[in-house]
Amino acid sequence: MNDEFIHKWKSQVKKGTLAFIILNVLKDNKFYGYELIEEVRKFTSIEIAEGTLYPLMNRLKKEELVVSEWVEQNSGIPRKYYSLTTIGEETLIEMTSYWSELEKAINKISK
Amino acid sequence: MKSIAFKNTTSQKIYDNYMRRIKRTTSSLNKMDREEVLLEFNSHIFEGIQMSTDISEEDSLLHILDKLGDPEVVLKPLIADKKLFEATKTLNPIHVFKALLLNIGNGISYAIFSLLYLSLFGFLYGIVLKLMNPNEVGLFMVNGSIETLGTYKGLETDVVVELLGNWFIPVMLLCAVVLFIFITLLLRLKQNMKN
Repeated sequence: MNDEFIHKWKSQVKKGTLAFIILNVLKDNKFYGYELIEEVRKFTSIEIAEGTLYPLMNRLKKEELVVSEWVEQNSGIPRKYYSLTTIGEETLIEMTSYWSELEKAINKISK
Repeated sequence: MKSIAFKNTTSQKIYDNYMRRIKRTTSSLNKMDREEVLLEFNSHIFEGIQMSTDISEEDSLLHILDKLGDPEVVLKPLIADKKLFEATKTLNPIHVFKALLLNIGNGISYAIFSLLYLSLFGFLYGIVLKLMNPNEVGLFMVNGSIETLGTYKGLETDVVVELLGNWFIPVMLLCAVVLFIFITLLLRLKQNMKN
């Protein structure tokens, strides 16, 4: 077994599926930044710095897949809540169906 | 923005230093984007501290900042993205060059755009040549057809007419400006297509 190759491959897969995971986490949910990252962490052991998720959220916003709003808190430090847009929901459905196709194909091929 | 107040002075220093690094990293962005990034990271740190199970404030802060990563590294894609968007919107050559430099590692197309922009210097080089050799540089018509832009070295029997005269420099400048706008609009189109 080539450990280095597997390690690289895993990190590529994780990076490639990160947006998909984020959109899934946000399905029917509204999360603020820190909470969102905690949720994402539950499902994936990403090895990237958490700070990189903010530029990614910015990109998803630009693509109109998510929206965000600042909500004032008693602490005086507001939270930025993220949620899916209709385009985001539709995109997620499409991504999910592609994912299950891929899964089927891989299951077939690796039999 | 409301800063987080720490009980421990060392924690306060660590936090202030981290926020300063964010400010420095985002200094090239506009005020609104800068504020947004700062607010977002500030909120992350604050919420992290609230959730933390570490006994000491300092430990939990260090742990959160460590997981967030270096602002200079994690914010790089965001800054590259925003700068390019701003640059193509304003048509300011300095912004465009800076944004391309930031993006040059993000795909072959940015390298191609950089080369296109470099080609603009061809016109400027023409102007320098014209200033050095006013009589030999120009747009030459040889035997009735437009032959060469720059210097012409041909047969002595050719009928050579220079078309631009004193207009050479203004025309070259105009060409550079028009080409610059054209390439930048292409870059903007590419950006919009990506979005």
